[in-house]
Amino acid sequence: MAEAWKGPLQKVDDWRWLIPRSYKKGMLTDGMIYASEKMISAIRKDQAPEQVANVACLPGIVGRSLAMPDIHWGYGFPIGGVAATQEKGGVISPGGVGFDINCGVRVIKTNLTEEEVRPHLEKLLSLLFTNIPSGVGSKGKLSFSIPELEKVLEKGARYIISRGFGFKEDEENIEERGAMEGADPETVSSKARERGKGQLGSLGSGNHFLELEVVERVFRPDLAEVFGLFPGQVIIMVHTGSRGLGHQVCTDYLEEMQKAMNRYDIKVPDRQLACAPCDSPEGRRYFSAMACSANFAWANRQLITHWVREIFEQVFQKSAASLGMFTLYDVAHNIAKWEEHEVEGQKMKLCVHRKGATRAFSAGSPALPPRYREVGQPVLIPGDMGTGSYILVGTELAMQETFGSTCHGAGRVMSRSEADRRSRGRNIANELKERGVLVQAESKATLREEIPEAYKDVGEVVEVVERAGISKKVVYARPLGVIKG
Amino acid sequence: MNKFEILDHTADVGLVAWGETKEEVFANAALGMFSLICNVEEVNGGFTIQVEVEGSDYEDLLVTWLNELLYLFEAEEVLLKEFNIQELGQYYLKAQVEGEPLDTQKHHVQRVVKACTYYEVKVEEIRPQLWRAQVYFDI
Repeated sequence: MAEAWKGPLQKVDDWRWLIPRSYKKGMLTDGMIYASEKMISAIRKDQAPEQVANVACLPGIVGRSLAMPDIHWGYGFPIGGVAATQEKGGVISPGGVGFDINCGVRVIKTNLTEEEVRPHLEKLLSLLFTNIPSGVGSKGKLSFSIPELEKVLEKGARYIISRGFGFKEDEENIEERGAMEGADPETVSSKARERGKGQLGSLGSGNHFLELEVVERVFRPDLAEVFGLFPGQVIIMVHTGSRGLGHQVCTDYLEEMQKAMNRYDIKVPDRQLACAPCDSPEGRRYFSAMACSANFAWANRQLITHWVREIFEQVFQKSAASLGMFTLYDVAHNIAKWEEHEVEGQKMKLCVHRKGATRAFSAGSPALPPRYREVGQPVLIPGDMGTGSYILVGTELAMQETFGSTCHGAGRVMSRSEADRRSRGRNIANELKERGVLVQAESKATLREEIPEAYKDVGEVVEVVERAGISKKVVYARPLGVIKG
Repeated sequence: MNKFEILDHTADVGLVAWGETKEEVFANAALGMFSLICNVEEVNGGFTIQVEVEGSDYEDLLVTWLNELLYLFEAEEVLLKEFNIQELGQYYLKAQVEGEPLDTQKHHVQRVVKACTYYEVKVEEIRPQLWRAQVYFDI
């Protein structure tokens, strides 16, 4: 296993831990980890805090190098990392977004209760499993021509909705209304298109899933009402990203930026942090290709939403609209975005990298649709399979401290090989069934690598962001059934 | 000498490959990567592809080489098991790789490897006739 990290962590309060910039030569700012005392000992077990310090070395970083409580050891950036860089003199780093560009989550609501869904659960899961392609290298059911793929890259979910795969109102309940600006398909290589074109409308594998859940606890009834959530309600969570297209875009631009760094005389402590000035041709091209990949991911989640609706219509013999199957929200958790934030009393345009972190804008943000503008953004936090999920809301303190960001999930605590050792000889699907969760999985190996104990307790993660004040709990939803790749 | 071994990493997977020559260490790293993806014992030969990649040093070449093979796996849908490195300089690699088109009835694809990263990448000759390479994959 990895070496433990022995650097300095100064306790600011019960939920904040500072890595002073004096820790390491090259750090331009402090690092800040949001965690409980109990979590800190686990966080110290590997090199994740060193990665927080490394990110603090990125040219043009503004504010602190941040890490959310689901922080874990990544490559380059830690997972759970947030860093903002300035427009002039700042850099953009593909490693600060990761390979699965716009890996993210969508929640689709229903007006059905657990009692109404339970009798159909097995049928629903088996139809979802057969109709939504999942697994390694899974392929979408529809084939898209080259001009259609260009439109997906440029217009994301909006294009898919215009083709009839969705409700018009889905659009406003997706970050960026389902299509990021500045997405020029020219910047996406033919290799990336080759790798991604067949995969639009597929779940993929690894930690991606589709889950049926029931709202079990409501922490803030007033906010739950605005979100259209009630106790006993069945909701559907879709967790996937930009598939092979995004992986290849990140690969292509990391390679390009290795070379660009020499040209711009940029030095970073880890090659995976390769970057280029935001306003350089390389930086601008990467941003555009990343935006195309993000759009591909939103289109992907939109298509899957459409098929989920079709399956519910078939099983319940009612239209999706009369089943209340509206999109609550759709968030990205691996992305870089141009956002305006106030820093030391001044408004600044910043490139906010979120790698395993979720945007959590507060009430009043113009980026939110009118229905959420008075309360703040719904933040969707999946747990591991079998543990359940939380829906939070963004806060003003997050705007001030974390560039409007919060955690994204549970975060791994166990390596895949350890999970494999611990699950040897066990029937994971049966264990979950005993806990009331039905599972359909493409691969037994994935199921074993993704056992619940391989993850931190998502409840603890969420507790930290709530206590630290960077988001607030709205509801907790318990899983009923899961589709895994 | 083992051809390769897997390194534990909390979220992802690392790999160390060994070889008597730099060509062998590059080939063994590729074999190690495909053994993460599938059971290479199930893969036959017969299907060959010519691969050429460029890089700024051995480490960059190793990452670029492995990513090129991942691209072939996903875009061409081929599982690879033989890696014949024909030319390997500091900035250039040429190889003939061999395997079999993916047949989901026959092959068990276990895991998706999203990409090979530059994190802690190393290629070194630790002593004469012993090369060691290390990479981490995003899983």
